[in-house]
Amino acid sequence: MTVTATTMLKVEGVNKWLGENHVLRGVDITVRKGEIVCVLGPSGSGKSTLLRCINHLDPVDGGLIEVAGERVGYEIRGGVLYEQPERAIAKARQHIGMVFQHFNLFGHMTALENVVYGPVKILKRSRKEAVEKAQGLLALVGMSERASSYPSQLSGGQQQRVAIARALAMEPRLMMFDEPTSALDPELVGEVLTTMRKVAEEGMTMLVVTHEIGFAREVADRAVFMDQGRVVEDGPARDVLDNPRHERTAAFLRRVR
Amino acid sequence: MSNLNGKGLAEDRLGPAVAHYVRQPGDEPPSQDGPVRAKQRTKYGQIATALIAITLLAMFVASQAGNPNMEWGVVAQFMLHPVVLGGVGVTIELSILAMLISIVLAFFIALMMQSDNKVASAIGRIYVWFFRGVPMLVQVLLWYNLAVLFPTILGYSTNSLISGFSAGLIALSLAESGYMAEIIRGGMLSVPAGQTDAGMSLGLTRGQALRQIVLPQSIRVILPPTGNQFIGMLKATSLVSVIGGSDLLTRVQLIYGQNFKILPLLIVAALWYLILVTVASIGQHFLEKRFSVTQPGSRLARKKKPRPGLASLATKGDQA
Repeated sequence: MTVTATTMLKVEGVNKWLGENHVLRGVDITVRKGEIVCVLGPSGSGKSTLLRCINHLDPVDGGLIEVAGERVGYEIRGGVLYEQPERAIAKARQHIGMVFQHFNLFGHMTALENVVYGPVKILKRSRKEAVEKAQGLLALVGMSERASSYPSQLSGGQQQRVAIARALAMEPRLMMFDEPTSALDPELVGEVLTTMRKVAEEGMTMLVVTHEIGFAREVADRAVFMDQGRVVEDGPARDVLDNPRHERTAAFLRRVR
Repeated sequence: MSNLNGKGLAEDRLGPAVAHYVRQPGDEPPSQDGPVRAKQRTKYGQIATALIAITLLAMFVASQAGNPNMEWGVVAQFMLHPVVLGGVGVTIELSILAMLISIVLAFFIALMMQSDNKVASAIGRIYVWFFRGVPMLVQVLLWYNLAVLFPTILGYSTNSLISGFSAGLIALSLAESGYMAEIIRGGMLSVPAGQTDAGMSLGLTRGQALRQIVLPQSIRVILPPTGNQFIGMLKATSLVSVIGGSDLLTRVQLIYGQNFKILPLLIVAALWYLILVTVASIGQHFLEKRFSVTQPGSRLARKKKPRPGLASLATKGDQA
């Protein structure tokens, strides 16, 4: 695999055990700058674990993860990966945006404060600058009017849109979405997908774990199908989704439709 | 072949009564205040309980009002006596100081118990096990008699450092911190793990996420039991009377040791404890109300309303 200057995410031979479970069995994925990659697969195939490993919320048991050419969570010395100190890992995570299935907005802060928090507390931006930027991002996700609402006063779709703005406020190099619409009522899915389309149009590099085949076909450049901790198929989104070549992909897509 | 024309079987089974109702504009319920009113059943049990309670109370008051040993005059005389009032002050001071110290200690112990550091976690658990396990009264006596184990502390005579008040304060703080650590830990566990994940994904360390994201949200869960603990503490301070802590009970005992008016003076103490606990309960009620109605930390949102230019953009976004 050649690493060019435009590679934003490189995942190579990643292995992960959760107790007795071999959750990731040598996963390879490369995402180029500006590319939108959807990861599909049955539950338990390791998609979410992969995302958590990429920004080191969970440690890996082996393999290489690099975001924008920088190793996340580990440094290599004499062929062995050593886990970095916590502060270094936290610093690496700043540049990786993550949107969660259950939104995880900070419950004690308004929508605006949720978006302002990271830039002020972590990037040490001035409050004024951060607030202006946050207002712009809330406008992007269509949540300006609810800037002073608390998460408990917002619908799931609205919370997820604020969560997307919160992740974008950190100016991430890569945005990861972990089943962002799975916890939503069916009628709220559309607004979140629309917001994600907007983020894609801004040229953001995106890695999206989703069950929304329609979204993947329309927005993604590439689709990756995972099964039992392995990448089974990886190719242009329309090819993979319309003409799956692996029987597992085909069987999964038949059932999802 | 009647089944094939679309209304054979289904109609036979369900009959023609299966209607498809579609609400039309102007459709109102037939009657909103009709002549039929609902009346609740009479609560005979409640009335009977009230009668029995009032009778028993009246009998008790009647028997004791004229009891010469009650000496209500003595109660009135000592209720606002400077020595008693001083004791009330010491009790309040001891309760508040012990509570504050125990909360600070408990906060660190709870963080230790929740830490990834397994040694720190074990130390925290052993701390809680010990200070929650040994009765408060025993801890009070242990600290008061510290001089037996350590005659001097940092070159000072232990007996000059440990008074009834300071020994009581240390014992109450440490014992209470065991309980408070468990309360704070429970509060932190009540905040979903996703909050820590979200904080860490922005670039916080686990410790920062615990302190800045999890802890503020756990306050609403921590506050009610803390209020209860404070009320418990107000009463637990009476334990220091065994080592002459100069609190309310100590002083009341000193007075009846001289004038032998034991019961009236115990009633003075009981009334004062009830007053303190009542005031604390009212305070707790308002504190809980404040924390459950308004969310803390909304300074920014209250000051700055979204700008109109952005609001119009937002409407477009909402429709999209």
